[in-house]
Amino acid sequence: MSGQPSQLDHIEIQELLGVYALDAVDPETAALIDGHLEECVRCSIEVTQHHEVAGLLANSGGTSPADLWDGIARQLDSSAPPSWEGLAGKLEAGDDRTERVVGSSTVVPITSGGSRRRRAGRVGVVVAAVAAAVVAVGLGLQVHHLDNQVSALSSRPSLTAAERTALASPSTRQVVLKAGPGATTGPGGHGGPGKVTVVLTSSGTGFVEAGGLVGIPRFRTYQLWGVIGGKTISLGLLGSHPGVVPFSAAGGTVTVFAITDESAGGVVTTTNQPVVEGGVSA
Amino acid sequence: MVVDVSGASDANLVVAVGRWHQHALAEIYRRHGGAVHSLARRILRSDAPAEEITQEVFLDLWNHPEKFDPQRGTLRSFLLARTHGKSVDVVRSETARRRREERTSRETATSGYDIDHEVWDMAVAEQVQEALVALPDELRHPIELAYFRGHTYREVAVMLEQPEGTVKSRIRSGLVKLRTSLAERGVRPAGAEQ
Repeated sequence: MSGQPSQLDHIEIQELLGVYALDAVDPETAALIDGHLEECVRCSIEVTQHHEVAGLLANSGGTSPADLWDGIARQLDSSAPPSWEGLAGKLEAGDDRTERVVGSSTVVPITSGGSRRRRAGRVGVVVAAVAAAVVAVGLGLQVHHLDNQVSALSSRPSLTAAERTALASPSTRQVVLKAGPGATTGPGGHGGPGKVTVVLTSSGTGFVEAGGLVGIPRFRTYQLWGVIGGKTISLGLLGSHPGVVPFSAAGGTVTVFAITDESAGGVVTTTNQPVVEGGVSA
Repeated sequence: MVVDVSGASDANLVVAVGRWHQHALAEIYRRHGGAVHSLARRILRSDAPAEEITQEVFLDLWNHPEKFDPQRGTLRSFLLARTHGKSVDVVRSETARRRREERTSRETATSGYDIDHEVWDMAVAEQVQEALVALPDELRHPIELAYFRGHTYREVAVMLEQPEGTVKSRIRSGLVKLRTSLAERGVRPAGAEQ
């Protein structure tokens, strides 16, 4: 085949998805496909599935050399940035460079900015919506259907078409979170938070409409938690002024959702009281 | 703050990495380092470069944890995809350097190619092996050449003396069939349970 393609249509890219997922295309073609995946949910889903299969094939279950971690750790030591505590002051002063954003689409509010990560996050939500419709894998979550709230939420201008699609799915559930103990005692001084709704698709992914939360300083963040199998698991960071933020709870049955106010960057386990919380009704 | 990494999910560990907790990265390495190193070694067929790739993958996660998007697959899939990409880059650069000296790619495909043995060496789950072996040869061979040998599909087409379109189609079909077969065996993506 002579030369490299300068442009590929959807059908041509679809035919390349398998070899793309195996890194078996040239860099120029890979770049064209990368651009397409930013916008095409269907192809994004297929690539994700191919990557999963490849990961299974690659899983040897072996062990790595014992001293290899030591080599990695030494490089961490030599290049380690200042401790988080040391960075807090910079964050408070608004130094974005030092803020570590984790979880990409689970961190960046969909309604803010126009970055590549934002688009990726949107694709993720669309993936969730399509997966919910096509795959229809139930997690057994027992959540009330609140059709009237679906209607009300759907009318919000901040929702993307993908999120509206997720809302319209019959298998999509909602949980309304109400003020918790941390609403009045938290370090952010949240007062009486407004309405916060968790929307969950049958695939375990979803989004939280958290615009009702009072804005907090930039060196702090709201963090979404889910109680799964009796354990409190972080489902993502929502930022200091959250709007609509996607998350994934795939792989477990969530019985309670809660949002806490934490230091920017989030925590592994929290000792703070929930600002808002809501049980998933049977 | 209490940090208990042993029971933390992969996603929580990445959050902790985002706060420069080395013990979280160490736990991720404990869980997935073996798979990462094995894949790199399998592709590169040499210990030293495989160890370099393994280090790069975990240092990348340390420096850029935000690149992991849990909505696009498991942490293990993410790490292995990064490992594969870096490994084939090395393979291809080496290949380019030696290309004039080696004109045996077709011979490699037909006589020196022993992927079945290596698949066994991987000690992957029995179901994964069964699913792979159960694939028709015309679907399995191009996947193995592309994934485990780091060849582009165009190179695979030359090696197998097949049209490029056929190779593209067979690799895609093979992956879909493998996914279906593994699902029927109850095999989930690695790391999905965490």
